[in-house]
Amino acid sequence: MRKVWAVIRREFVERVRTKWFWISAILGPVLFGGIIVFQIIQSVGGAVRHIAVVDSTASGFGERVAEALSAGRTFRAYRVSAGPGVIDSLTRLVEAKKLDGFLIVTNDLTETGKAEYRASNISSLSAIEELQRGLGRLVVKVRLETKGVNPAVVDWAQIPIHLDTKKIARGRTTAESAGQSFVLAYIMAILLFMAILLYGVNVMSSVLEEKTTRIVEVLVSSLRPFQLMLGKVVGAGAVSFFQFLIWGVSARLLMNLRGPIARMLGADPGAAEGLQLPHIPGATIAVFLAFFLGGFLLYSAMFAAVGAMSSNEQEARQAQQPVTYLLMISYFSIIGLTNDPSSTFARTLSLVPFTSPIATPVRWTAGSMATTELVASLAILAVAIVGVTWVAARIYRVGILMTGKRPSMKELVRWVRA
Amino acid sequence: MSEAVVAVDHVTKRFSGHTAVDALSLSVSPGIIYGLLGPNGAGKTTTIRMIMDIYEPDAGTVRLFGTVGGGRNHSARIGYLPEERGLYPRMRVLDVLVFLAEAKGVPRRAARAKALEWLDRLGLADWQFRKVSDLSKGMQQKVQFISTILHDPELVILDEPFSGLDPVNSQVLRDTVVDYRRRGKTVLFSTHIMEHAEKLCDRLCIIARGKKLVDGTLTELKQTHGGKHVIIAFDGSQGAATQIFADRRLVARIQDFGQEAELELAPGADAQEILRALVNSGARLARFELASPSLHKIFVDLVGPEAVTAPAVPSATEAGAHA
Repeated sequence: MRKVWAVIRREFVERVRTKWFWISAILGPVLFGGIIVFQIIQSVGGAVRHIAVVDSTASGFGERVAEALSAGRTFRAYRVSAGPGVIDSLTRLVEAKKLDGFLIVTNDLTETGKAEYRASNISSLSAIEELQRGLGRLVVKVRLETKGVNPAVVDWAQIPIHLDTKKIARGRTTAESAGQSFVLAYIMAILLFMAILLYGVNVMSSVLEEKTTRIVEVLVSSLRPFQLMLGKVVGAGAVSFFQFLIWGVSARLLMNLRGPIARMLGADPGAAEGLQLPHIPGATIAVFLAFFLGGFLLYSAMFAAVGAMSSNEQEARQAQQPVTYLLMISYFSIIGLTNDPSSTFARTLSLVPFTSPIATPVRWTAGSMATTELVASLAILAVAIVGVTWVAARIYRVGILMTGKRPSMKELVRWVRA
Repeated sequence: MSEAVVAVDHVTKRFSGHTAVDALSLSVSPGIIYGLLGPNGAGKTTTIRMIMDIYEPDAGTVRLFGTVGGGRNHSARIGYLPEERGLYPRMRVLDVLVFLAEAKGVPRRAARAKALEWLDRLGLADWQFRKVSDLSKGMQQKVQFISTILHDPELVILDEPFSGLDPVNSQVLRDTVVDYRRRGKTVLFSTHIMEHAEKLCDRLCIIARGKKLVDGTLTELKQTHGGKHVIIAFDGSQGAATQIFADRRLVARIQDFGQEAELELAPGADAQEILRALVNSGARLARFELASPSLHKIFVDLVGPEAVTAPAVPSATEAGAHA
């Protein structure tokens, strides 16, 4: 066991020492931080706007407009009486960035519902929407008032409807929206695919390195080939978990630092609180990790065998193709899986061990999987891991000492039987 | 005699129809240098791999230190240098040494201390944190060699240890082997270079085509496979040497190297008669020496010229390794 431990440690330490490990370890948080900063900057763009309300109504209606808009979150409005040269001087103020814009209110507003808004920035949809909604409510109120309706009744009638969407999954109601769970499932599938492929190929190149440098002969005189393979797979797996850990912890930290980051960027810290990560339930994380582990073990055993049967990089690249294609099946099915996670197609993929490491977490996240199905999927995967590892180990122990041409299918069968 | 450190008993190994090692037996007693000699493809490496537990014999048994089973269970007591050598090119020198020792079951701290000691002794102390690939080939050979003996094994098994070594490292290796024997350890090595075997070995085993031809001490070999030998070196004119050497009443066999020749006398022939005949024919001699046969001569006689060009090593593709 101490010997296996030595192999695990070597595999781990040597991988973590490479610059590629740190590049990808840093790239994750940088990307995530970029998203946060981008969103804060976005929210800064949507900060308070100071506007003038140019009032040419006889009734002084502009005062009520300014009041109603200032009650909202986005606008701080001030009434200005209309007069000669007012529009020109306001335009100059907007150009000098002293003012964000101005709204021209005439008698037409209550009659035909027309008003004009001039501003330096009219591309913020949420700001325009708020402006329009505020004006609309006020106009409805004024129109009804002129017909003698009690203003209190009007206010009551205009209480807006807030539609809360919640997902029902496995007998529980979560706060997740449909869009969020789709995105989450998609991101998970991509992550699983990349991680299994990357770290599986790592195992392969590590096996190949020992073979081409011929160091393997000394190793198998001290360790059983299976111990060596086991140490490699566990070592590479530990590296991938370490990578996930770095990403997870730094994402958490960045989320907690949203406030200070926002203040640093000169934005209202409260604005940053608005961004939320989709809430990921513990069960989903557990399913993700379990199937990553299973998929990694299954595929890295195959990649180890591929490394052992090849004698150089080029041969290995060719020999790994069938294994990669096997993994690609689930990758290309991601869209189909997320669109209809309870189809027969999706059900089949989540039971076949070569596709289930990606298909099952996707279906689980999308919320269309019974616990019994999950257990069945996991059980089949576990059996497949044992079987595939057994076959791979037999190919491995013959292959690592072999030089010369790549074995034919017939020879491989003989190795496995031997 | 105390119990053999390595006892190979009627061991056979076949690779898809081809018999690489055929009912081979050999026994290495403690504290000696044992040479396994044979032409290429004779089965030396296969035999060593069976001793090291890399291959499993199809028949017969291997006993190490008195217990049945190959080298893997005793890896901490054995130093093994395979014919094809290699290190992790991207690892640091010290890390490689520590890892290889750990794989043999040596505790990490002890391995580290020993590695530093050896690096210092062989002048590589400044290189301990450098990558293996930064080292010259000669230095890599030294590192490889350290990895073989770092854990102070009781038994050292070296497969063609001198092949590819530069003269300096060759000397380091020879000194270490001799030093090992002096300290009561056992060395088993294979070679096809006779001079190394002749100078170093206490006991020899010559194999060809997977079979043992002979084994014993060098003296025993020379006595049983010798006959009387004469070594002649010419100094210019060779006179009628060609005719004299062809005389089957005088010379049984000859190895002619041009300016030098090694003769095996015919039974009953007198060396002085040859000397007289040569001088009379006008040959000028630099050397005329009555000698026991060289190991090279015995080897060629036993193996035969056809076995020197032995069948190609079976492609390892066909190899069915067991572990």
